[in-house]
Amino acid sequence: MHPGLQAYLTVAVILFAIGFGGVLVRRNTLVIYMCLELMLSAATLALTAFSRYNNMMDGVLFVFFIITVAAAEVAVGLAIIVALYRRRGSVVVDDLNHLKD
Amino acid sequence: MSITEILAVILLMPLASAVLIAVFLRKYGKAAAALSTVVGFAIMGLSLYAILTWDGVTLHPSWEWLRFGGYAYSMGFYFNSQTALMLLVVSFVAAWIQFFSIGYMNDDDGQGRFFGGLSIFMFSILGIVLADNLVMLFVFWELVGFSSYMLIAHYFTTDFANMASKKAFIVNRIGDFGFLLGIAWCWQHYGTVDLAQLGAIAAKNPGLITGSAAVGIGLLLMCGFVGKSAQFPLQVWLTDAMAGPTPVSALIHAATMVAAGIYFMARVFFLLPPYTQHWMMWSGAAMTAFAGLCALGQTDIKKSLAYSTLSHLGYMATALGLGYPGLALFHMAMHACFKATLFLGSGSVIHACHHEQDIYKMGGLFKKMPVTGLTFAMASLSIAAVPFFSGSYSKDTIISAAFMKGMNEGSVYYGVYALVLFGALCTALYMGRLFFVVFLGKPRSEHAEHAHESNAFMTAPLVVLGFLSLTAGWVVYGWNWAGGKMDWVMPAVTVQPFMAAFTEVTESVEKAGVGHVLDIVSVVLALAGMIFTYFFYGKAGEKDPVAARMPGVFHVLERHGWFDDVYDWYVAKVQERVCDVLAIFDRIFIKFVCVRGSGGAAGLAGALLRRTQVGNIHAYVYWFLAGVLLYWAFATGKI
Repeated sequence: MHPGLQAYLTVAVILFAIGFGGVLVRRNTLVIYMCLELMLSAATLALTAFSRYNNMMDGVLFVFFIITVAAAEVAVGLAIIVALYRRRGSVVVDDLNHLKD
Repeated sequence: MSITEILAVILLMPLASAVLIAVFLRKYGKAAAALSTVVGFAIMGLSLYAILTWDGVTLHPSWEWLRFGGYAYSMGFYFNSQTALMLLVVSFVAAWIQFFSIGYMNDDDGQGRFFGGLSIFMFSILGIVLADNLVMLFVFWELVGFSSYMLIAHYFTTDFANMASKKAFIVNRIGDFGFLLGIAWCWQHYGTVDLAQLGAIAAKNPGLITGSAAVGIGLLLMCGFVGKSAQFPLQVWLTDAMAGPTPVSALIHAATMVAAGIYFMARVFFLLPPYTQHWMMWSGAAMTAFAGLCALGQTDIKKSLAYSTLSHLGYMATALGLGYPGLALFHMAMHACFKATLFLGSGSVIHACHHEQDIYKMGGLFKKMPVTGLTFAMASLSIAAVPFFSGSYSKDTIISAAFMKGMNEGSVYYGVYALVLFGALCTALYMGRLFFVVFLGKPRSEHAEHAHESNAFMTAPLVVLGFLSLTAGWVVYGWNWAGGKMDWVMPAVTVQPFMAAFTEVTESVEKAGVGHVLDIVSVVLALAGMIFTYFFYGKAGEKDPVAARMPGVFHVLERHGWFDDVYDWYVAKVQERVCDVLAIFDRIFIKFVCVRGSGGAAGLAGALLRRTQVGNIHAYVYWFLAGVLLYWAFATGKI
């Protein structure tokens, strides 16, 4: 028995919720970053499922774009985190509130 | 070159000169003086050439300037015999006055500025002379006001010159506001502002010029004339304008600019209904007598002459009001000769006395300055209308015309005659007073003691203009030469505008059999006035005899009937109070509600929104979550 669309979407929602929860509760920027990636994966999973369900390639096409953008984003994001650590000696978000002033 | 091209060159040359002086020659006063004067004489030569080669057919070239929707503004020339006369007078007098300025302004630091100003003035006045429509005329009208402002304020380090220049500009603005409304109304009512088309409309349908709209347009257009030609009630600026250098007073505030108002009225005379003419006649005649009297109360030589100018502008306005624009132009031309001579003569005297202007600090200058004295005497006789001097031909004809109006149209108009005749008596009195106090008697100060004749730069224009003060009026005898192109000292075409009116008035006076009576009355008044002043002022000490005997009367004349005081009171007490009331609106609505209100609202919003910016990334994620929820609720129709 093949799992239906419902099952894929449920997994996607759970993945997204875990990611979002992580973003909300974790203090380490690196972990927050991983959680963000998790949310992106949830979106790609949902898109692939929709694509298969509708017998169209549009969703899969989107996934390629998302993977590309995510790769670029990670490159930039990790660079920022490294730079932040060098400058401030910490990657904990509670210490990174200088934009307030 | 065609005449149109010559006219364009004439108009643009002084502009080029002004630009050159402003950009390159500000520091080189002598070069600026030379350039400006050479251009002045070139304009004179080209004008003469254009007038002499003109075939008498009205020229009206025109170019489109701007277009807004259906409205096209054009620029062009409207060249008829009136234009020729005014062009001749302006270019001739201006050239010689610029020549005089070289000598007069010799030791001045601001020569570049001064001659640049004269050039821009020439550009402006020539624009007025040549303009073919009211909009173009208005543009140059304002430029003339600007150059007058700039030249009055030449000695800008003195408070008085600054105040006088502002006063002249603002008072003129009041008149020009009416003028502008008049132009707009004229366009709306007649459908054009082109002088030639307006003339055609007026000729085709005389009924159009009698309605109430026509009266309104006439009165509003007259406002421009009232401001520029210093007529009642805006006459107060002219006497203060004497704060400028004397050549400026001679050129702008006596010979040309103030006469431009007369020229403008003569040019649109067909637009003036009888009601407007009546106003001009009565106010002009009253100004003639009143300003003539006030001239007797001035101890400053230039102010006395300024009142004389007011008085003579009154004569021209009277001539316009009597229905003889030609006579007004005739008097304008003669007045330009003798009043320029008088002002330049006073300039020569002031220069010799080290910028002393009080006539009771002068005296006995005739022997020391024979050329100045002699030309001043000739111009004095001319302005007092002694027979065979130029002034008598124009002035006595205006007086006769006023008398004929009284004879033909009701005795109330004898009032006009009485006023202008009284003005003539005043002329004899104040000119006699000036001449006898300044040139005869004993020197009353150190400077007058050591005065000596001015150099040739200053005496040459005096001789030329003084000669014309004596002889220019002889054009009425019609001595043609150069194959009929010239009539005595003027080109024949420039005599045309006034010759018909002159002949008409002289003939009607002859026909009525009063010619000799009128002549004798005028002559007796002029001579009696002068002889009286010889005995009354000839032996005067350092105080005016009237001031010594009747200080009250002298004070009234000195303050010229408290016009300035009334205006001061009006501005300070009435206008300022109205402004205070208007300021309440400004303070409550604009300042409080609009400015403070909007600023405060933005500030408050900013203060509230800043509270959301806590700087913690988790807080932003919660905001983001809230935003998503809000969007979701909105998209699914929950709210």
